[in-house]
Amino acid sequence: MLNYNQSLPEKKLFQDLQISEITPIMKLIIRGKKRKFFSAIGKSLNILLPVESNTSTQSQKLSALWLSPDEWMIFSNETSDKNSNYNETEELLIKNISSVNLGAVTDVADQFVMINLKGDKTYKLFQTGSPFNFNDFRDKKGAVTQTIIAKVDVIIHNQDKNDVNLFVRRSFSEHLFSWMTDAASRL
Amino acid sequence: MFIINCPFCGEREQSEFKAGGEAHIERPKQPTELSDDEWAEYLFMRKNIKGIQFERWNHIHGCRKWFNMVRDTSNDEIKAIYKMGEKPPVK
Repeated sequence: MLNYNQSLPEKKLFQDLQISEITPIMKLIIRGKKRKFFSAIGKSLNILLPVESNTSTQSQKLSALWLSPDEWMIFSNETSDKNSNYNETEELLIKNISSVNLGAVTDVADQFVMINLKGDKTYKLFQTGSPFNFNDFRDKKGAVTQTIIAKVDVIIHNQDKNDVNLFVRRSFSEHLFSWMTDAASRL
Repeated sequence: MFIINCPFCGEREQSEFKAGGEAHIERPKQPTELSDDEWAEYLFMRKNIKGIQFERWNHIHGCRKWFNMVRDTSNDEIKAIYKMGEKPPVK
């Protein structure tokens, strides 16, 4: 059973920065290398997986983030129904990808917590605790990076100008959230 | 601290990577025919030279892929980076 408990306590508002958890969101990690794998994903979900590093693609319902040459994260653009664990995308991919040995599909809806950061100070906050150079990243809509913030592994997705989705493992999410709110209070 | 050009993700800082020891060590084809000394030589003995060294690295906080690096251990200058399975571009 999926645990749709909210990981983070509340939405935090600062001057020029808003941090909030987006839940529940469907998230999947898919892995595969074969050409058939790409076409099966395209046919099943009507989305092209990004093959260029550090990029993402988007359809009306889903977003696909490049994680490594054979690994992607797919998440829903809209929140899911809280009262149901039914995941249509996962069912489709299990049928068309993993059960025919084209690749692997893993449900990570509970493993990753999705935090949305909005505002002019978003990148200033990241710069206080990350070794990644955000100069080019911040101007490139759809850019994706995996890096560390305050020694915690994160996936960062540039959704729009000063509007960023951050994915962090659930067990680290409270710590990272508390670190971010503390750091944001002193920006 | 130095910048490493991951062959998959591009330039990142060293703290995102993990060193994985000496590269291009081949597993013996017939391990059962080796003496204990030869097996220990393969398993444990690694070069630790001052100068050009061939190493394996992993982008552990990024794409989690392994790659090879030629590094001068005396000044941390990176001479070349190449993917697993490729031949070293420098000698």
